[in-house]
Amino acid sequence: MKTVVRRLSGHLARGLAMIWVVTTLSFVIIRNIPGDPVRGQYEKLIEQGMSPDAAERATAALYGFLPKGSLWSQYVDYLNGLIHGNLGQSLSTPGTGVATIIGSAAKWTILPVLGGTLLSFLLGVTLGVYAAIKRSGKLGDALAISGSLLHGIPQYVIGLLVVAVFSTLWPILPAGGPVDIDFTPGFNGPYIASLIQHATLPVLTYALASYGGWILAMKSSVATVLGDDFIMAAELRGMSRGILFRYIARNAILPLFTILALSLGLLFGGAIFIESIFNYPGLGLLLVNSIGARDYALMGGTFLVLTVAIVVANIAADLLYAVIDPRVRKGAEA
Amino acid sequence: MTRTSAPGVRVKDLTVVYKTPAGELPALGGVSLSLAPGTITGIVGESGSGKSTLALSLLNAVQPPGRIKEGTVEIDGLGNVVELTGEELRRVRGRQVGYVFQAAQNSLNPLKTVGKQLLDLGRSHDFDDLPALLKDARALLGRMGLDGGRVLDSYQHELSGGMRQRVGIMFALVLNAHLVVLDEPTTALDMITQAAILKIVRDVHHERGLTTLIITHDMGVAAEVTDSLAVMYGGRVVEHGPTTEVLGAPRHPYTKGLIRAIPRLSGDIDEARALPGRPPTLGTIPKQGCVFRERCPLRIAVCDTVDPEPVTRDARTVACHAVGRLATPVVPKEYV
Amino acid sequence: MTVTSPVAPAPISLRRNFWRGVGRVLRRKPSRMVGVAIVVLFVFMGIFGPLLYPNPLPRDDNALYASPSWAHPFGTDFEGTDVLALVVTGTRYVLLAGLATAVITVAVGTLIGLLAGFHRGRWDSVLMRLTDLQLTIPGLPLLLVLSTVWKFTSPIEMGVVLGLLGWGGIARAVRSQSLSLRERGFIEAAKGLGLPTRHIVLRELLPPMAPYIAMNMLIAVTGAIYAQVGLFFLGVLPFDANNWGVMLNLSVFGGGALSSTAALPYLLAPLLAILLLTLGIVLVVDAMDEIFNPRLREE
Repeated sequence: MKTVVRRLSGHLARGLAMIWVVTTLSFVIIRNIPGDPVRGQYEKLIEQGMSPDAAERATAALYGFLPKGSLWSQYVDYLNGLIHGNLGQSLSTPGTGVATIIGSAAKWTILPVLGGTLLSFLLGVTLGVYAAIKRSGKLGDALAISGSLLHGIPQYVIGLLVVAVFSTLWPILPAGGPVDIDFTPGFNGPYIASLIQHATLPVLTYALASYGGWILAMKSSVATVLGDDFIMAAELRGMSRGILFRYIARNAILPLFTILALSLGLLFGGAIFIESIFNYPGLGLLLVNSIGARDYALMGGTFLVLTVAIVVANIAADLLYAVIDPRVRKGAEA
Repeated sequence: MTRTSAPGVRVKDLTVVYKTPAGELPALGGVSLSLAPGTITGIVGESGSGKSTLALSLLNAVQPPGRIKEGTVEIDGLGNVVELTGEELRRVRGRQVGYVFQAAQNSLNPLKTVGKQLLDLGRSHDFDDLPALLKDARALLGRMGLDGGRVLDSYQHELSGGMRQRVGIMFALVLNAHLVVLDEPTTALDMITQAAILKIVRDVHHERGLTTLIITHDMGVAAEVTDSLAVMYGGRVVEHGPTTEVLGAPRHPYTKGLIRAIPRLSGDIDEARALPGRPPTLGTIPKQGCVFRERCPLRIAVCDTVDPEPVTRDARTVACHAVGRLATPVVPKEYV
Repeated sequence: MTVTSPVAPAPISLRRNFWRGVGRVLRRKPSRMVGVAIVVLFVFMGIFGPLLYPNPLPRDDNALYASPSWAHPFGTDFEGTDVLALVVTGTRYVLLAGLATAVITVAVGTLIGLLAGFHRGRWDSVLMRLTDLQLTIPGLPLLLVLSTVWKFTSPIEMGVVLGLLGWGGIARAVRSQSLSLRERGFIEAAKGLGLPTRHIVLRELLPPMAPYIAMNMLIAVTGAIYAQVGLFFLGVLPFDANNWGVMLNLSVFGGGALSSTAALPYLLAPLLAILLLTLGIVLVVDAMDEIFNPRLREE
């Protein structure tokens, strides 16, 4: 248990360091945007007849820091606001907090990403075992090749092809928005059916984009485990097929958990493309739109939340690893 | 259905080949060997002499790219194991024939405790009384000087090399198999652990009335525990007989060389003479003639062309033209 | 120089052997020849593509979103410009940015990896922390955010930024390679001989890793191509260059290629170009792997 705590605290420290770097970057970037939007906003409010005090407060609410004082004190203000969960106000949807907008967008990203990852993980791992065992067979070969190809193709290409096939050429599934607006939101059949219909293609794209990586990783992992002494020993002890298969699968999946973290990070980034293609109102689309609308507070906030999501995914994957591998759990070397 | 007495084993004309880019190369070239019921038989030889391949053949477990090309392995009560396949073969492994793996240090699943793996073993062989199995295992481990309960709760990485080896032996014995094969059970262990493990093997062998086969490259180990000893070279058994006789009065020139190469604690180190030349590898085993002739001091013309048949005389089998010549009446083979 | 060196012939015959090996590896799997051909074709398009067509490209107002025909194998775009011509002339920006990225990635990654692997100790842990940070930072969102202050007008600028965001993988790989070379003892030996650090790093460490680095460079090129085409596709960068990503953007968000089939060829042409280039590079990397890993060759 002690090792798990030590690992966890190491991860937390690194995660916090990364979040700090990212927030600092956002701050520097927002400060350096041509035309200085912060000062611009402040001056615009004064032109509209606001008192300097009121204008100052309004600007501070918008960006989380004041346009005056030294750069350093602005930076400290900004960090201080973030620590208190204050991400500022959105410019493009006046009167709404950035945190609120992000909160409502997050579910559209997290659920499809997790769904797609789970789907591709299960599919890739199962087929990877098959590809490893039937290494010399035709089907095994074909699986490995499909893995390499899909692994090499960028997500947006897969997304565009998926839309072109299932929505344009052979229109069986919708490719725009999260749900049909004709249905009343709530827990009713048609609404949920529409939700699922609209989520199918994005989830499929997430799954296809990561499936190749899983199949390749699992294949090589199984091949390694098959060569391990303990598998042959289990065979010579007459262990039943089912037990033997479980021994192989569990040992082979283990190294994949480190990849899981990286892949989740990649998918959260990939959400930007996939949500743009499917017009899906998640964090990725929010980031793109906030840039288009020059809504810098929203942009900084979204960027921060995406980063936090990746840090959390990393930590979760590592904990999962620790739960499965007794060597880590009990804190032995290697 | 489990035998209560020690089975005899008869290996006949066993040929095992390995598939390589250069074609199929023989690792065992027509080996014949019998293990008398209730004895400990040792097999000695240099690396690559085919010892481990022979041991695996007893379980019909030669690993690809190798395969048993011809020959039979008859085990009392099981028949010819070379012909067993699938479920039938799996049930024999572990249950009827216990096997201690060459790399027994790594013979455990790193993600499960020893106890859980023991339960897996019990379930694989349809044991109904799993608590009794655990009790047997604890008793066996206790006999080997381990805290049985603690070992069963441990993962592989929490055990030392010697402990893992003993756990490996426990796995081979716990299902009450009456034929036990130990492939280099003491390699990579320190002298004291080695002695302890050999003692356990001998004790359990006598207590349970087993037939035991020990593979080793250590003449000392062979001398200490075995009743009969087979010497392998280049995929052939070149000499086989009672251990004391084989070591005391070796007949085959290879056995002689092997014994002469052992340095003794008492006496001049210079007396130990290394065998000239190198043992053949899979690819360099001569296609015809005697496999040992390149290094043989007794080489004669016929050695170049004819592979010597093993000849049995007063309970000892030797495969050598030069020795065979000196021999009086000849019984051609060990088994007729 | 009239002194004839007895060592001179060796490198020449070595090189000849090398080329013979290359030929053999390529011939063993015809797909690799195809890979080389594809890469050569794209390089040719990148260098000479813009010279093959008039600048600006001709428009045909009578043939907006025309279907594929002999005159326009991939149809035309919203202004009636030939799609194939757009793909060909767009190659230069894409390849140039990819190349610039690869050079920066490899230079920074190799330098940091070598430093970390060679010095170990505190240097190593600081540099590796930095590498971890680089690897976990969400690259694409950061690029988007950066695009608000930086317009990436030239492909070189684009390459520099992408390179600075992508050196982590190579740094880690180079470090572990140099650590494993260390274990084989040849660095200790060179140090024992009193050779200067620069010599050890450049002459002893780098050469055995060069093929590996070269392969990584090719892989970096593909990554860079995806990233920049993706950025243009999202439309966060101003469109002043002809680029595959711009084509994707205009076809999807302007032409409605996702809702009607008319603009579909306009969408598919740049996609096809990306897939083809990826395929070519993957096949070439596969061939390189075998050339530089003799162990694979024997099997």
